Amino acid sequence: MSQRPSYAVGTGLFIVLGFAALAYLATQTTSVANIHQGSSYTVDAHFANIGQLKERAPVKIAGVRVGQVQSIVLDPASEVADVKLSIDQRYSKIPEDSVATIFTSGLLGDQYIGIQYGSSKNVVAAGGTLALTKPAQQLEEMLGKFFGAGGSADNLGGSYTVKARFTNVGALSAGAPVKMAGVAIGSVQSVKADPVKLDAYVVLAIDKKFSQIPDDSAAAVFTSGLIGTQYVAIQPGGSPEPLKNGDELVLTQSALQLEDLIGKFLVSGSPGDKKAAADDTKPAGKH
Amino acid sequence: MSAQPAQENVVTRSLTQIGACGLFLLTILAAVPRSFRHGRETVRQLWFVGAMSLTIIMVCGLFVGMVLGLQLYYVLSIFGGTAASGTVVAIAIYRELGPVVTALLFAGRAGTSITAEIGLMRATDQIAAMEMMAVDPIAYVVAPRFLAGVIAMPLLCCVFCALGIFGGHLVGVNWLGIDNGTFWSNMTATVDVWKDVVNGVLYKSLAFGAVVSLIAVFQGYTTAPTSEGVAYATTRTVVASSIAILAIDFVLTAFLM
Repeated sequence: MSQRPSYAVGTGLFIVLGFAALAYLATQTTSVANIHQGSSYTVDAHFANIGQLKERAPVKIAGVRVGQVQSIVLDPASEVADVKLSIDQRYSKIPEDSVATIFTSGLLGDQYIGIQYGSSKNVVAAGGTLALTKPAQQLEEMLGKFFGAGGSADNLGGSYTVKARFTNVGALSAGAPVKMAGVAIGSVQSVKADPVKLDAYVVLAIDKKFSQIPDDSAAAVFTSGLIGTQYVAIQPGGSPEPLKNGDELVLTQSALQLEDLIGKFLVSGSPGDKKAAADDTKPAGKH
Repeated sequence: MSAQPAQENVVTRSLTQIGACGLFLLTILAAVPRSFRHGRETVRQLWFVGAMSLTIIMVCGLFVGMVLGLQLYYVLSIFGGTAASGTVVAIAIYRELGPVVTALLFAGRAGTSITAEIGLMRATDQIAAMEMMAVDPIAYVVAPRFLAGVIAMPLLCCVFCALGIFGGHLVGVNWLGIDNGTFWSNMTATVDVWKDVVNGVLYKSLAFGAVVSLIAVFQGYTTAPTSEGVAYATTRTVVASSIAILAIDFVLTAFLM
């Protein structure tokens, strides 16, 4: 009766193994692994914009994790985000003029706070504040700066109009910039379909300052960047005669459709090309 | 009774089965306190459905993790995001693959043998003999197997998940060269102990363990007492368990998210 069955030991081992696996999953592979850290001290930092920074996001110095974001509170009085950083006690020699910046790991990664050492002899004390901060870079702002540069020229000096015909204007719309050498010199006044010639009839309003454009110049519909808006680019010709009000640009180049381009790319791209592309993108993920 | 030729239509038959299954669950639960007298029997079943299933669970967990690591590396390298593969391996395994694949394997490995064993007991009149001797077959045969299944499933699932993470790490870090530190730090930064481990691994696998064990003992207990009936019941255990696992998985995911 008191004899222990042979399977009891095995069953006990199975249960222990199961709980050991659970303990491993819970403590080593989850955020619990980041909670246990040595004694730490808290430093404040005020950011104008924290982007997608979350609590428990890492705080890094020279790319090495030294702590985490403890709390994020909006200060209603001054419209800044008060971020409390919990930093490991071992790293208590941070100069008080260090700069706290919100970075993004890789293109799609989470955001973290990077601290760049200043030169001050005084270290920031527990409960102190890092006065110098750089807010998170918003992708929209960066894109705006990148693509919006130029914009449409002001028409203070008056403008003159020239016409151009395109077989395809893509997504060109009235108000789009007209650029020469990448600089805006005017804007598209109207885009209409010609019922007789069955093509697009575009009227460009160009600033009077640019009255020396040769009359054999070419007009092309380009796209700014990959996802930017379309604009008309004027490529100057060599004729001595300048364009006059009401002239027509004869040489035109229509918009390239993204679908066509991708189609060409996919058809011509060999597996080797794709491999190279994948290798190129690799370092981005290693930030 | 269940091996009758199809006189009623499918809907009525399925509803009858589901209803009978639910009532059977109540009977088992009522018999659970009495089955504690046969604690040793429960331990023996735990050994049989749990410990004996460990090999297949561990091997399958390892391969599921490895194939995840491999697939994710190729997909994520397109976006330059291979560093995220640790996170994705862990979340995919904890939330879906771990509980579901473990439950499917469990239904195939342990559920069928429970059905066949109880079904043969029924076919060879052992259950009738127990009733004759005033031994409650629900408390002595059915409840220990049900309890063992409910206890074993979460434990097996934890082992599966641990091996899956190990497999993903093996392929991602050791073979394909993802940085070890990034692999773990991204994982620990994203995976949440409550949302992913407790909700995913524990709750789901508990529910699956109860459902698979219930279907297995129910099909065995209500089998037609013939060799053909036992064969039918075993097949139905696998089919019904698989459908129930995937359907309940959807419902649980919708509620636990």
